Amino acid sequence: MSESQLQFLDRPTDATPWSKRSSNFSLIIGLASIFPILLFLVVLNISELSGAGAVLTVFLPLQLLAAAIAAIVTRGRRGVADSQLSVFVYFAVFFVISMLGSILFSIVSWGLKAVSPHFIYQNNVYVTPTTSLDYGGAGHALVGSLLVVGLATLIAVPLGLAVAVYLTETRGRLKGPVRFLAQSMSGLPSIVAGLFVYALFIATGTANLSGWLGSFALALLMLPTVVRMSEEVLKLVPGDLRSAALALGAPQRRTFFQVIMPTAKAGLITAVLLGVARIVGETAPLILTTRLMSETSFNPFSGDLATLPTFIFANLTAGFDTGRSRAWGAAFLLLAVVGLIFGATRALTSKKVK
Amino acid sequence: MNTRQVAKGDRAFFAISTAAAIFTMFLVLAVLVFLSIKSWSTFSQQGISFVTGSTWDNTTEGGTFQIWPMLVGTVVVSILGLIIAVPASIAVAFFIEFVAPPKLARVATSIVDLLAALPSVVVGIWGIFVLSPVAATWSLSLSNTLSFIPIFRNEFSNAEGAPFIAAWTIAVMIIPIITSVSREVMGRVDKDLISAATALGSTSFSTMRRIIVPNAKSGILGGILLGLGRALGETVAIFFVLNLVFEVNLFQILEPKGGNVASLIIAKFGEATPEELNALMAAGVVLFILTLVVNMIATSIVQRAERRMAS
Repeated sequence: MSESQLQFLDRPTDATPWSKRSSNFSLIIGLASIFPILLFLVVLNISELSGAGAVLTVFLPLQLLAAAIAAIVTRGRRGVADSQLSVFVYFAVFFVISMLGSILFSIVSWGLKAVSPHFIYQNNVYVTPTTSLDYGGAGHALVGSLLVVGLATLIAVPLGLAVAVYLTETRGRLKGPVRFLAQSMSGLPSIVAGLFVYALFIATGTANLSGWLGSFALALLMLPTVVRMSEEVLKLVPGDLRSAALALGAPQRRTFFQVIMPTAKAGLITAVLLGVARIVGETAPLILTTRLMSETSFNPFSGDLATLPTFIFANLTAGFDTGRSRAWGAAFLLLAVVGLIFGATRALTSKKVK
Repeated sequence: MNTRQVAKGDRAFFAISTAAAIFTMFLVLAVLVFLSIKSWSTFSQQGISFVTGSTWDNTTEGGTFQIWPMLVGTVVVSILGLIIAVPASIAVAFFIEFVAPPKLARVATSIVDLLAALPSVVVGIWGIFVLSPVAATWSLSLSNTLSFIPIFRNEFSNAEGAPFIAAWTIAVMIIPIITSVSREVMGRVDKDLISAATALGSTSFSTMRRIIVPNAKSGILGGILLGLGRALGETVAIFFVLNLVFEVNLFQILEPKGGNVASLIIAKFGEATPEELNALMAAGVVLFILTLVVNMIATSIVQRAERRMAS
């Protein structure tokens, strides 16, 4: 076969993504990103559309169109779907981040107006919803929240850990159903947990509204998180460690407490912290099981007890401006607690990775 | 320590963990049984109309307690919330797994997790003071421009307290749930398959459509159902942003008439008469069964998807 008989085909331009990009590439992409924004800003200034409406009706279609044109120019028709996908993905990410940003910004900016040193340690005695913010605070609610959540943790963590042990260390026959029900319970509406505790203790006359009932309801909500997270962590412990300990003659309980638990320590603490983060802001069950008061109480076992969520709820429903500010302030404290827990879990998990 | 002591200690250790596991299993049953006992009088008195009727009246002898509008409202708000949350969540999960560079992906994951940890009362206070006024302007411009479409009609002068606004609040709360489940299952799609598709010249859109979505489909569906379960049971945030009206409102999503079972319980609980209290318990039973069914379906889908991908 001689050389001249071979037919050389041109490689289609859009089938070589690794080939050198044309020098116009960045220019086209740049234009496609800047042009819609500029046009959008112009429209926003001259028309009476609201910001979000203009983003949806002007900016998004323009950006999709620009991306499609840029894709056709640089990569041919096959690139169009890709360009639409990436515009949509970036738009969604922007949307989620701006939602979160809006929440964080409003809590911090409104909250800082109400928060002052005495807001953190004083209680609310002699303070009505209309009293100025120079008096009183949410200290009693902070104390109450810590007590209720602490007690709930004391109930839920040993129980959850024992269940996780059942799921990972034993050969029980009920593993499947237990795992299934524990996971389904993670969707238990918090209000139902509150109603359950109310029906079990208060409606039967066994107990009056008090902090430990709230802890009971919260423990119910915390349990699934603790079970799932600690099961995952315990599963990650290498089987060799387990076998080695057993081969050295250690009883299974010793193997668990002295080998497996220390190995999984960081993960287990993370599981507990995530459980706490899940319940610290739960409001509905506490409204049903505790009664808000304005004095500080260190006794979660009898009498009224203030907690941050119920404090926020009461101040919001009272409907006065100063009450509203107090609610923002307390929401800020709550967010600070959640943020601290969150930071702690991040620090723990990043250490584990190293 | 002799062998017998060892065996005894281990038996106790296993007995405790087994007892804890069985106790947890019975908790679900206990919730259902105790609430049903307390609310039995309502169920027997109101009969099936407790669910299908639309009157809530505690002033007459015995009272009339029916929750149909609240149930409808709960479902409407949850579905609307899903319509907003599902595309956003799947896009964010796709971004984290396949688009973002590793460092940015880690930051985005933290942001989603932080969003998941926001207490509902915090979202509620934001919803009432920040979101509601803004979303009300969106709602008004929708009803002004698109009022020829029946669902966008609004015959009231204000728009706050409408299911439309509650749906945005719910979306913020369920986006992290759906995102984290979707991200997980997308991350478990066989990397070799994706590389093979890319090597064959697949664009990122066709990889998404032909490889990622078919493989992660059931897991994503499970995540969506988990989000739905959460949306159905959400209480405090909805209580602040939704106007409860005892009138079935299925389509007028922009009008300030909504219903929600969980918020009804919170709203009526404080000054409830004894019969009303039992009726609220009964509403709790209905809500619990609804969410339990959704969550069980979701859990079984997610667990099956995880098992299939692990093998």
